[in-house]
Amino acid sequence: MVSRKSERLINLTIALLATKRFITKSEIFKTIDGYEGSSESKERMFERDKDDLRSLGIEIEVGSFDPLFNDEAGYRIKQERYQLDLGDIAALEISLLSLAAQAWQGASLDDAAQRALVKLNSLGIAIDEENMPDSAPFFSDGGPDLPIITRAIAEHQILEFTYRNYELTDEVRSVVPIGLSTRSGFWYFTGVDQSIEEVRTFRFDRVIGSFIVKKGPKEFETPENFDSQRIFERDIATQAVIDIRLGKGTSLRALASSTKSIGEWDQVRIPILDMRTLSALILWHGDDVYVHSPNELREIIIAGLKDLVKTHG
Amino acid sequence: MAKKVQGNTASPLERTSRMLDLVPYINTHQGISLVDLAEVFEVTTDQMISDLTTLWMCGLPGYTPLELMDLDFESGYVTIRNAPTLARPRSITHEEGVALVLGLEVLRSSISTEREDLIAAIASLSQRIARLVNLPLALSASSDISHEVTTTVRQAISHRSGLKISYHSLYKDEISSRVVLPLEILESQGTLYLHAYCFTAQDFRHFRIDRIRSAESAEVEKPSTTPPVNPEKIRFEVKVVRPTRDVAERFEESNLEAGTVFKSSSFSQHWIARSVLASGGAVELLSPAEIRSEIAERAQMILNRYEG
Repeated sequence: MVSRKSERLINLTIALLATKRFITKSEIFKTIDGYEGSSESKERMFERDKDDLRSLGIEIEVGSFDPLFNDEAGYRIKQERYQLDLGDIAALEISLLSLAAQAWQGASLDDAAQRALVKLNSLGIAIDEENMPDSAPFFSDGGPDLPIITRAIAEHQILEFTYRNYELTDEVRSVVPIGLSTRSGFWYFTGVDQSIEEVRTFRFDRVIGSFIVKKGPKEFETPENFDSQRIFERDIATQAVIDIRLGKGTSLRALASSTKSIGEWDQVRIPILDMRTLSALILWHGDDVYVHSPNELREIIIAGLKDLVKTHG
Repeated sequence: MAKKVQGNTASPLERTSRMLDLVPYINTHQGISLVDLAEVFEVTTDQMISDLTTLWMCGLPGYTPLELMDLDFESGYVTIRNAPTLARPRSITHEEGVALVLGLEVLRSSISTEREDLIAAIASLSQRIARLVNLPLALSASSDISHEVTTTVRQAISHRSGLKISYHSLYKDEISSRVVLPLEILESQGTLYLHAYCFTAQDFRHFRIDRIRSAESAEVEKPSTTPPVNPEKIRFEVKVVRPTRDVAERFEESNLEAGTVFKSSSFSQHWIARSVLASGGAVELLSPAEIRSEIAERAQMILNRYEG
């Protein structure tokens, strides 16, 4: 049975690919192997087959072969939509794509990456081993939902999800995603939060449960100054000015936008992405770090220290 | 490493998809062995034979030998003829495109900027694939690992030679220089570790590769084979004052409420002290008493500086 179904789908694909003109349902039932039974059951079979092929990403065109008459609808698959077309592709490019696919080993999109790689290898282009980069990067697992995000980005859909906020109370957020990124082993997505109409970034592992995909707002526009490459970059307006003892604070130094030597200490500027995260990192470093500004950060640190003294003293 | 879930290879749709991809693959790999082909498509040889048998029955309407594909696999090696309609590979899906574009992004971040040829090739590929699957170029990925370090470490493993590494220990917040004999690179939850014998500690150690600041080859002797001594874990007890996400993630405890007391353990007293400090009063360390009083003293000392 299973064999018959696949066989029919393949035959249907071949017939629809091979035809230049649209072919009608009755022609399909007459000529393509596997359509059997009452006309009703044939109809049902064909409807399901069409859906199945479309779910495999195959585009079936519907049209009529004589636009002047109200003919029976016809079907075909366009070769140029069916085939992989990346233009001229060089051996080096195939090698790079292989490495790109390998980066998913053991992570979320491993299967998709492998399927893509098989298709690329089917182009029959040898791999250029000589000019390959000599280190292969890898991904951390972002879970199976990455394509939900990218599709929502492409189609401006709204994603609704439960998010674990700082206070550990779970809240439902409604976001039109505009960017996806990964850094230091974590996956993030950025989007326009619909209730506050502001851009926010969310960490994947803080989403609880699954995403609900909804139709997006009409005429959605990505905020003009948004650049996914720069979510974590150093050009954020508010900077903290802090002193770090020489030879200490390596993880804080990694965030610095500038460093100035002042004897036993270095004075660094750190862009503030999140006040609470930064204050925790500063407290972690104990007396090897001293905050000059902004005042808000100083106050968080001082309040934290007072609490620590009170509870532990 | 996450265990790959084996898909249901007998699902008719999955089979159809695989068979459609089989034709162009065999077309450019004429004479490939059944075993290799099964491996490429990640199925058993029996499943592959069953797929090929079904494909052998497919072709253009008419279904006479003239219209059917000409597949030969009886010898254990596979060839295909007369399959022009399916000869070219199928276009890639949205999901496959996402995988490739993100893969290219992370690749770009991991190669040295001197390789302008590669950077340019990657940019051009990303654009072409993104256009193909209607993917906005709003994806970014970066690898935090130094290109030079990984190359040196991999070379040392394959030559069985020693390394002098400069390593950032997060808990002690120190950069130390260590001489190690690297054994293997391991991946765990998205982080790469170097498993090595450390001559400085005279024991086997795991080093996070992204915390190796630099690496150069060094002369080493064979390590002594005395069994490693396992350091004792320090048990500690924490009371939650204010439940925050930071506390939950730092101590890997879920379901926190004000007043909750939990027990845990760590190899490092530095880690315990620093974690409680970083929580800024959101938790109280109940025990061990020495670390508790050390926290109070240090917090007071830092506070004096701010208030002085």
